[in-house]
Amino acid sequence: MEILGALLLIGAVVAYLLLPILKGETALLHRDFEEITEAEARRRIALLALRDAEYDYHMGKVDQADYTKLKGRLAAEALEAIRAVDGVDDADLEREIALVRAGMRDGRACGSCGHLNPPGSRFCAACGLALAPPTPAGSA
Amino acid sequence: MNIVGELALWTALPVAVWGMALGFMGGRNGRGDLVLSAERAVYATLGLSFLASLGVIDLFLNDRFDYWYPAAYSSRDLGTFFKVSGLWAGQRGSLLFWLLLLNVFSAIAVWSNRRKNREFMPYVIGVLMTIQTFFLVVLLFAEVNPFERLGFTVADGQGMNPQLQNYWMTIHPPTLYLGFTAFTIPFAFAISALLTGRLDSRWITVTRKWILLSWFFLSNGIVFGMRWAYEELGWGGYWFWDPVENASLLPWLTATAFLHSIQIQETRGMLKVWNMGLVIGTFLLTIFATFLTRSGLIESVHTFAENLTIAWIFLGFMFASAAVGLVLVLYRLPKLRSESRIESFLSRESAFLFNNLVLVAATFAVMWGTLLPLLSEGFMGQEIAVGPPFFNRVNLPIGLFLLFLMGVGPVIAWRKASARNLRKNFVWPTSVGLGTGAILWAIGIRHGMALLTFATSAFVMTTIVVEFWKGTRARARIEGEGWLKAFYHLIARNRRRWGGYIVHVGVVMIFTAFAGAPWNTDIEQTLEPGQSAEITSPFGHTYRLTYEGLSTNINDRAQNLRWQLVALMSVEQEGERVGTVQPEKRQYFVGGNRDPNTGNATEVGIRATPYEDLYVILASVPQIETGMSLNDPSAQQAHFRIMIKPLVGLIWSGIMVLSVGGLIGLWPATEKPRAAKSSPGGRRAVAAAGD
Repeated sequence: MEILGALLLIGAVVAYLLLPILKGETALLHRDFEEITEAEARRRIALLALRDAEYDYHMGKVDQADYTKLKGRLAAEALEAIRAVDGVDDADLEREIALVRAGMRDGRACGSCGHLNPPGSRFCAACGLALAPPTPAGSA
Repeated sequence: MNIVGELALWTALPVAVWGMALGFMGGRNGRGDLVLSAERAVYATLGLSFLASLGVIDLFLNDRFDYWYPAAYSSRDLGTFFKVSGLWAGQRGSLLFWLLLLNVFSAIAVWSNRRKNREFMPYVIGVLMTIQTFFLVVLLFAEVNPFERLGFTVADGQGMNPQLQNYWMTIHPPTLYLGFTAFTIPFAFAISALLTGRLDSRWITVTRKWILLSWFFLSNGIVFGMRWAYEELGWGGYWFWDPVENASLLPWLTATAFLHSIQIQETRGMLKVWNMGLVIGTFLLTIFATFLTRSGLIESVHTFAENLTIAWIFLGFMFASAAVGLVLVLYRLPKLRSESRIESFLSRESAFLFNNLVLVAATFAVMWGTLLPLLSEGFMGQEIAVGPPFFNRVNLPIGLFLLFLMGVGPVIAWRKASARNLRKNFVWPTSVGLGTGAILWAIGIRHGMALLTFATSAFVMTTIVVEFWKGTRARARIEGEGWLKAFYHLIARNRRRWGGYIVHVGVVMIFTAFAGAPWNTDIEQTLEPGQSAEITSPFGHTYRLTYEGLSTNINDRAQNLRWQLVALMSVEQEGERVGTVQPEKRQYFVGGNRDPNTGNATEVGIRATPYEDLYVILASVPQIETGMSLNDPSAQQAHFRIMIKPLVGLIWSGIMVLSVGGLIGLWPATEKPRAAKSSPGGRRAVAAAGD
């Protein structure tokens, strides 16, 4: 009885392994279109660095002068990263970075990963965390 | 069940080889069907190793003493709970158990990546199945098959080592194995990244949780082992720099370094080669730890020396893995260049780098001390062993420096900190640290190392508290939130960082506990019932322990005890009755033809308070040992060792705090909606990034 069960087991394993090849079923081999690309990862990191710098400044770890310099450089890095992802032309870039800054304030930019979500989002599309509700103007 | 189990183990080997070959082939030739078949091989080996494990448990539960493994590790009287734990009580079972855990994690990794990170997966499967193949070869061909038959049936098994019949010992090995095996997943992704050439931080982002999970289990596993040693070995310590303790500490040290250095790669694109080195090194150390524990190469309390074939197979595998890793890193060196440089000596990056160098230095020191006996015997024909004094002398300063860095790192800004800011930020922590040191000095504490540790701990705790406070304030200011909400969001939105700080609090508590060791006090006394012993705590108060008498419990089959002697002592603190302690001597049924005295065990009596433990050992009962019957009521005289262990409780509460911090970092993101794609004016949504 036990030997019969054993043989059945082996048969089942062999069939389970061979079926994809016999029937031509395949596994995905390439990146899902929704998946973050290398350029997008870089953009995300650049935005995170901007956020970290802002926190470091507010927590008194960086001087005003250093912060201004650092922010300028990080913003430039972020712009470059954004350009690499979206291929937007230079005219849009200033607007883009302004959007990012605004997004950080009104809660569209994810506080966890820095991803900028479309207006009205309640959850971050990149990491899934709930986004903070927009702050009423003037109270910040 | 046992026949199915044995057959499952034999079937698993060709399946694993199949998965290994098809994983690599499918990845190389872009054949999705081969990759799918390889994926199925991962699930199939999980099922098969599960059946094999059930088979082994079945042997234990049914007292199949015609099989070598249960005959050597079980007995008819053993409780069901410990019979199940027989799966990891000895070398043979624990190798199978290792394989099972690796299978579980492999299957989870493959399943959770069935739609993402696809370019990595063929090679990830290939690597995982290679490691599984290795363990299966060991199990089946290195004379450690748990299904080996004796050819005859012994009347009763030899019984489980009584020291292993302890709650902590039952969960300590599995927890460590979980840590070891979980680290295989980051290793597989790293090798896959090297093979595919996708060497950005993606493989780290994908495996970050695995790294943390592995670290979490390793930390807990190590502390569970300390707890076991503390309660069960009966010599009053929790760490003895035993080779196997060291073996579990080694991957922990490098994994800790890795946890920190990946953050630099993720944020700054630096240290890519270093990180590859750490991930490969840590994996090798997990294998090395398993090898040391289970090969019988180095004598230690954990070793159940059996044969040396297995040692050579393990060594071969480790050298082969190291060689493959090295060749791949060299081959990909051009793609592993740093994207940026450390901008300033005063930056968090350089603090992290220091932390890494120090941790790796500690790794080498511990490894050297552990392997010295082996190497000296091999090369000079004379065994030179180094004891705890060597390890303490080397590792105390290293640990202290790490503790210090733990306070410095968080306060320094990324990229570049200015000296003026540093001074400003360190005013409070330094004052608190120095103040603590001064107060302790004033009340008469003169032990230099301990004084330094306490002061540094106070310094670190202050930086962490200040960090939380300033972070909350900054968040409240930047986002315009109320304080409570800002505090919650601060942690929730960057769980890794703030969870990490909570982990640091736990580590500080554990270090503080270590620094209490110089004040360990002990006395030895022989007492008749009614007599008392007094011991003064380093905190100043005096305990008076009165020996009330000995009770005996003979032939307790339910607990597998031949006899049990329980000494009852009432404890008074400064004249006030505060409770009792009950140290014990036990002899377990060990079955078979073993010397019954090997079944003697000590159960210490511990009265734990948050600041110190009163730790009592029933060292001997002279009259019974000289042949008086256990039932003779006059055999009451007992010899006690009474100790006071200041601050030990902080280790156990520290590991809980550390675990809370770890869990905060591990907690999965709540929801992952992907619906934002078509919003008007919205940019393309980016899907879940592995966390």
